[in-house]
Amino acid sequence: MFDVAGLWHGFQIAATPVNLMWGLIGCALGTAVGVLPGLGPAATIALLLPISMKMGSPVTAIILMSGIFYGAMYGGSTTSILLKIPGEAASVVTCIDGYEMAKSGRAGAALGVAAIGSFIAGTIGLIGLTMMAPPLAEAALKFGPSEYFSLTVLGLLLATYLTGESALKGLTMAIVGLILGCMGLDPLSGAVRFDFGVADLQSNLDFVTLAMGLFGVGEILYSLEKSGTASILTTRIENVFPKLADLTRSGWSMVRGSVIGFLVGILPGGGAVLSSLISYAVEKKASKHPEEFGHGAIEGVAGPESANNAAASSSFIPLLTLGIPGNASTAMIFAALLIHGITPGPFLLKEHADVFWGVVASMYIGNVMLLILNLPLIGIWVQLLRVPYSFLAPLIMVLTLVGVYSVNNNVFDIWVMLVMGVFGYVARKLKFDLGPLLLAFVLGPIMERSLRQALLMSNGDGSVFFTRPISGSLMAIAIAFVLYNLWAARKKNRAARAVASSEAAK
Amino acid sequence: MKSWQRYAGVFLLAVAGLVIQQSVWVLRLLDHGQPGSGFMPFGLGVILAVLAICLIATNLGPEDRQVPFWEPKAWLHPLLAIVITAAYVVVFDDIGAITSVVVLVTGWLLLVEHKGVVVSAATGLATGLVVYLVFDRFLQTPFPRGLLF
Repeated sequence: MFDVAGLWHGFQIAATPVNLMWGLIGCALGTAVGVLPGLGPAATIALLLPISMKMGSPVTAIILMSGIFYGAMYGGSTTSILLKIPGEAASVVTCIDGYEMAKSGRAGAALGVAAIGSFIAGTIGLIGLTMMAPPLAEAALKFGPSEYFSLTVLGLLLATYLTGESALKGLTMAIVGLILGCMGLDPLSGAVRFDFGVADLQSNLDFVTLAMGLFGVGEILYSLEKSGTASILTTRIENVFPKLADLTRSGWSMVRGSVIGFLVGILPGGGAVLSSLISYAVEKKASKHPEEFGHGAIEGVAGPESANNAAASSSFIPLLTLGIPGNASTAMIFAALLIHGITPGPFLLKEHADVFWGVVASMYIGNVMLLILNLPLIGIWVQLLRVPYSFLAPLIMVLTLVGVYSVNNNVFDIWVMLVMGVFGYVARKLKFDLGPLLLAFVLGPIMERSLRQALLMSNGDGSVFFTRPISGSLMAIAIAFVLYNLWAARKKNRAARAVASSEAAK
Repeated sequence: MKSWQRYAGVFLLAVAGLVIQQSVWVLRLLDHGQPGSGFMPFGLGVILAVLAICLIATNLGPEDRQVPFWEPKAWLHPLLAIVITAAYVVVFDDIGAITSVVVLVTGWLLLVEHKGVVVSAATGLATGLVVYLVFDRFLQTPFPRGLLF
């Protein structure tokens, strides 16, 4: 169950000076973007995709990107605790009790517990990843086109329902993403689709261009609306190593958060945000002092921060074993693997064991790096909050523009990125979640190929998706999930209408 | 905000219409009895149309409360940024990549962020230098040289 030889081989790869250096850069960058509100890990990975292409080794590139992803989970808590502004979406609930702790002079304890909880959870998540990934990859080898189609359908549905506020908007963005994924060459017939006579549109839309537009440019434009910089809390940050009493009180919260995060993180769309919300609710329920929640309960920091880190680790399981990314950040890593000529999925472990084990081992090392970066060196990240966004915005824009040009050396890509940026900006303003769009864009070609291959093999018989055991089970789960959500939405609407009519009667 | 959601719905409905039209008239729905290149786009177009209609339908009626799409003048900075970036792309080939980066950053800091001329120019030049060293020298990106560089 635990491939010691594989993991040892991974450590040998991850511990080379070059990989250690890029791992450290990734963790530091991740912490920085986690600390800085407005720039998330998905956007940062998108910005670095062109640079990663110039890296010779795919292992090094993925080590850098995964470092950014899980590093951001660590860094996100800093702004939540000190400014009550979540540096990262997954740290939203940490604002509640973390900021209250900081206000009462316990910022150090909150930051320390968040870092230690993140370390424990990240390590537990990694142990789970190490144990579960090989057997899951083995099982996935039995998947045919119909299973893959059903899996992508289920994955997209879960992602759209679990990520955003509105399932309707999430689903709409997913369909837009699938349509964008259809543009250019048809993978099976070679026909050109939706080129409208423009030669540059005859090749498929580039993932880097799309991701940098939606998440890079869109994010910058959105941030420009809010002028001025947040003022930092004046409380001194001291005693970041929590007292024994704090650790004793938050120990079980860390364990519970780790388990919740690990399980939720495996689900497509589940990820770090949902796991931290669930963890907070569970901690409040399990606590002997629920009245302290909202007023600086240390469990309210330890649980969610542990959960989002465990989820970050376990979200690599579907990516590396099934080739199904569960969130925007892992979709970027998926694209980075493709750029390096590696297809994530069940064959990854067999054909590119060095990449798989190298990345997993680097995450163990990265967790230790992050603990050091976020406990004794926390002061550096706090200073980072003083950098005015007015200077960061144009610099990030330059990085996206130059980066996207360097992929294909084509000015047309910059125009596409700019259009996507405007689309992303407007979509964010209208509260459309862009994560499902990007996921669908990545999964679209897999979905279409699987759909058409399955229909070809069954002579056009659509029942193949329901009659094969694994495919049928996945479809049944997908249908049950949609029906349950429709029922829940209907119930919620009725309740809201009843409240409105009773208020009107008064 | 509801009216903007309705506009979004209409836009998506138009996109759906275009996708369906292309799938049926330009691409093939079926190819020798098997799904053709227009098969999946057609299905997606139909689903998008349904979702767009749902989006419009759920946002009918008066606004719940007055939430403006933009706060007063909040659109100005994003619009200026878009215009400056578009200008950058237009002059990219003619004046060269590095020079256009200097112009972009300087212009951005002056016009969008209202920084001083010296600070803006210094930041622009420093950014141009970093881009030159990292992308041009280190990563060997074949940038257009243009007239000035």
